[in-house]
Amino acid sequence: MSNSATISAVSDAPVAVWSQVDANNAKVLMSGNVNVYSLGGIWTQIRDSQDVWLKQGDGKSKSLTFDAGKVTFLDGAGIAFLIGIEEAQTTAGAKFDVVGLDPRYEPLLSEFNPIGNLFPVPVVKPKRSFVVSTGMAAQNLIDDAIGLITFTGHLASDLAWSIRYPNQVRWGDFVNAAVQAGIAALPIVGLVAFLIGVILSFQAAIGMQQFGAVSFVGPLAALGIVREMGPLITAILLAGRSSAAFAAEIGTMTVNSEVDALVSGGLSPIRFLVVPRVLAGILVAPILTLFADIVSIFSSMLTMLIYGIPFINFYNGMLSAVDIEDISSGLIKATLFGVVISAVGCLRGMQTGNGAAAVGISATRAVVSSIVLIVLVDGIFAFISYKTGF
Amino acid sequence: MDTPNKSQCAIDVQNLTVGYGSNILMQNLNFTVNYGEIFVILGGSGCGKSSLLKNLFGLYQPLSGDVLIEGQNITTAAGAERQKIMTSFGVMYQQGALFGSMNLLDNVTLFMQEYTQLTQGQMDLLARCKLDLVGLLPYESYMPSEISGGMQKRAAIARAMALDPKILFLDEPSAGLDPITSADLDSTIQDLSKNLGITFIIVSHELASIYAIADKVIMLDKGAQGIIAEGDPKVLRDTSKDPRVHQFFNRIMSKDAA
Repeated sequence: MSNSATISAVSDAPVAVWSQVDANNAKVLMSGNVNVYSLGGIWTQIRDSQDVWLKQGDGKSKSLTFDAGKVTFLDGAGIAFLIGIEEAQTTAGAKFDVVGLDPRYEPLLSEFNPIGNLFPVPVVKPKRSFVVSTGMAAQNLIDDAIGLITFTGHLASDLAWSIRYPNQVRWGDFVNAAVQAGIAALPIVGLVAFLIGVILSFQAAIGMQQFGAVSFVGPLAALGIVREMGPLITAILLAGRSSAAFAAEIGTMTVNSEVDALVSGGLSPIRFLVVPRVLAGILVAPILTLFADIVSIFSSMLTMLIYGIPFINFYNGMLSAVDIEDISSGLIKATLFGVVISAVGCLRGMQTGNGAAAVGISATRAVVSSIVLIVLVDGIFAFISYKTGF
Repeated sequence: MDTPNKSQCAIDVQNLTVGYGSNILMQNLNFTVNYGEIFVILGGSGCGKSSLLKNLFGLYQPLSGDVLIEGQNITTAAGAERQKIMTSFGVMYQQGALFGSMNLLDNVTLFMQEYTQLTQGQMDLLARCKLDLVGLLPYESYMPSEISGGMQKRAAIARAMALDPKILFLDEPSAGLDPITSADLDSTIQDLSKNLGITFIIVSHELASIYAIADKVIMLDKGAQGIIAEGDPKVLRDTSKDPRVHQFFNRIMSKDAA
């Protein structure tokens, strides 16, 4: 016994002893209850001894005997252990014998013949070259743009249909979506709008104070809020809440083949799922924006009190700077944001792949795409305002 | 980790009442499952077979009564004790419930990684053995979403067997499988039961499979809110006087029996 490895035993815990009879003959003596929990160290130790032994000299003349006579119980992991040893012997061209194994394990062992299938050759995935991966990324971008344009077309035609046949719109879904996206969003929109009003006024006042122009902060802040901050803040909050919610809801329906069921039943998923949600977006986005405008301006008024500007001065200054065109410009923009947010959320939901992870990806993509499109629409609006003075 | 002790039963159900809130599905169930037995739960759709199964392995809390798994009460166990009981059995859910973000091999090795000291290579070999048993060896690197529903079920059985538990709960394992795969699965279940002494608790409707493998069945009925027949399925088929049992085993339409 030149090379011996023993794992200590507690009661029925498995013990495996590696012993080398001579240069070409080795033996493993196994005993106890061999199971998946207790096999950890033993497996590695026996296989290591076997590998060292197989590397010494010519493998073809070597023979290993596995004595399982004292094994009291062998589970599936124990059988895998035997297969692992046998495979190493076969690969080296050496012989392997199992003796004393309780015959009841024979059918389990023979299930896996030939064992070679259990050791597949690892497949090396071909690496994509830079050119190919760039090309594929570009193709994906184009596909995505085409998908977006197609979807916009379908949506426009189905929105027109909903105006023509208002009785056929699923108003129950519309109400649900409007409540979830609108009323449920009031507290968070109010909180953020309030803080934005305070921050905007404070930051503006710090600068304006240097020129003795604190009294202009009110008109400036109010104008900024109704034209830009109100719609933008509301839209970003809606994108985070509702766009993700729509994408997750429709995404889960896609995963469960519910969308397929609509299509095979001859119903348009856009009419059935998207139209009510987009209509809800169109309704709630301007209302939430108006609410955000009012809260922000009120918090701005409160802030300017600190600088000694009374409410009435703020109010008069605001009236001179902000007119109905500014407010309606902000609300029109908010309506467009509402369309973008709800439509993109639904689109990403319908593009969901398979499985739970795909739903998460869709929700993420919905938020990212919504915010990008919001900023894009906002930029286009700013350009139009510059050109037309609206 | 004792060898199966035939004298003690694997599962002992005492006065179990199953339901959700005020909606009671079954009342005062009493039965035992012996070690190494293939025990099949039968009954029409909606009578609460799957709910009963989930109560048996402790996923749901029963309204009243106890379930003893290998002598330990799973309804009252908590913490480490509960976890120990949970690792003594494997579960296959009706829809497979594979982890969608992992391929089949990783699905099977997941529990091994948590509970054993095997190396990755050893776990992979063991997982391949399990996948081979259910005929899915060539698909080890596939994601669950890339294989059919029947294959997902088989992969779920492989995952349930990952830690070689002594008890396996299978919720409709052969539903949706082709006859050949279904027969292969039956023979695998019998091999595991006979040679490793694994206890199976199976919810099934497949009469052919039930006659082939079941040592004992219990039949549940919605109206009776309990067990209406118990014993060997072939004996029940040939001798039962209960019209509901007779109808079920002989596939008689409800209007013909009335």
